[in-house]
Amino acid sequence: MKPVMTFALMTLRNLLRRRAIWGISIVILISLFGIGQIPSYGVSNEGRFILDFGLFGLEIGALLLAIGLASNIYPRDRERKTVMPIIAVPLSRGQYLMGRFVGAAIVEAAAMLVGCIGLMIILIINGHAVPADMLPATGLLLVEGWFLLAVVFFFSFWTSPPLNAPLTVLLFIVSQMSVAGFIKLFPQAPGLMRTLRLLLPHMDVFHIKDPIAHGIDIPGLYFFLAMLYGLAYMAFMLSIALAIFRSKDLK
Amino acid sequence: MEEYPLQVKELEKCFRKKLGLSSFKALDSISFHLSPGEILGFIGPNGAGKTTAIKCILGLLKPSKGKVTLWGSNPASLEVRRRIGYVPENPDYDDSFTPIEFLTMFSSMRRLEQKKEQMLAILDRVGLSKWGNVRIRSFSKGMRQRVSLALALQSEPDLLIMDEPTGGLDPAARKEFRDIILAERQRGASVFFSSHLLSEVETICDRAVILSSGKMVIEGRLEDLMRTEDHYRITYIISDDEPKELEVEADALQKRIDDLRAEGYSIIAVNPLYRSLEEVFLSATDGGGR
Repeated sequence: MKPVMTFALMTLRNLLRRRAIWGISIVILISLFGIGQIPSYGVSNEGRFILDFGLFGLEIGALLLAIGLASNIYPRDRERKTVMPIIAVPLSRGQYLMGRFVGAAIVEAAAMLVGCIGLMIILIINGHAVPADMLPATGLLLVEGWFLLAVVFFFSFWTSPPLNAPLTVLLFIVSQMSVAGFIKLFPQAPGLMRTLRLLLPHMDVFHIKDPIAHGIDIPGLYFFLAMLYGLAYMAFMLSIALAIFRSKDLK
Repeated sequence: MEEYPLQVKELEKCFRKKLGLSSFKALDSISFHLSPGEILGFIGPNGAGKTTAIKCILGLLKPSKGKVTLWGSNPASLEVRRRIGYVPENPDYDDSFTPIEFLTMFSSMRRLEQKKEQMLAILDRVGLSKWGNVRIRSFSKGMRQRVSLALALQSEPDLLIMDEPTGGLDPAARKEFRDIILAERQRGASVFFSSHLLSEVETICDRAVILSSGKMVIEGRLEDLMRTEDHYRITYIISDDEPKELEVEADALQKRIDDLRAEGYSIIAVNPLYRSLEEVFLSATDGGGR
């Protein structure tokens, strides 16, 4: 475990030294600032708006961060041949993947935590109560972010970075569709589409901003099961990514 | 008795061309071994397959056929890989780190638990003692190569695999590298030294494997490779004169010796002629494989 954590730390430091991450962070902060301006528009139920927009912002932030963090890690390592001395001697391919993933996941978690705290501060400044479910809801978005990281790593082992981002966004969109909506994409084969939809991830389970904004109580078991689902799917994606990586020749 | 540090048996590597309709054979059934404490030169023209072979040895490429073993085990085994130091060709490490940071992280990944003083000693050995805390971003190619060597030496490896390690170095730095390699051999390490700088191979290697177009064309002890079978040098002398030398073909050797004796000369020595490694290489690769 220690080699993986050391490599994760190395990845973390490397990511924090990259400009792209700070660019994404600035976009998230500007979005939060924009959300903080909602009361000035005089809308009714402004607390709900702030929560709704804020959690939506975190959701999109999780997606952008996952792409920004992970889409270029392996291609860059391969292009610069940095991966070779690492895999040739101290680490196995599995340890390399896990180290890179954990490093990126820590950055994602820190960014989501900062985003969540920022949203709480905005709510408090504007005189609104912070819902009790806000932290678990952010936790779900974080699990979604980690799952997306795993997806981005999975794509990065067999596609180019320019293709990785649209494929991830496509999966993000498709995985929020209902079964009925998915069948409409290709109504000629409803059985196939239904099966396909069941196999594809269901990211809609992570998005609970509407019930939270409307003050609907969410059972703790829901959070637990949704997180378990997300983590299991993430592990599945990482396993496939590792299988592809292991089968690859590092030319 | 321990197995060879490195053994390659009938190694073959094919790469698929675009669309996967045809393939290109980068390595064609090469076999050799590296004995303990030996420096083996691995030479060949550009594109001969040297780096491909090294990547197969390190488990970065999967052989299409044949087998690579390190001390009799699979190169993928982490236990075996902990005994290796690898100096890649043109290393391009993450340049936002300093050499000390790299050594610290590699030490931890290798479970070495080295102290800072030990790391500074390694940096001193490779000539980077003043640069330990400077980001690699500002380093020249030669300095990056030194970082690479420091990382390879860090674990006191039993096997050093070096892929064109002196490519970007000036003559003085090349000499320093050679001295380090010889010191490593003295310590007991085996060295697999890939290069196309024949003078270096000639200076430090015990044996050489010559590759051309993916095939192994010659393998043997340098002395054997460089010794010609068909030309000899006769050293002869008469009374108090200076010794003289004469080169003759093998077929005419005995007759020439007899003639010299008949003329009153004393034969001091008859030795086979040695070619340079460059001559061996050019003749083995049909002028360099081009």
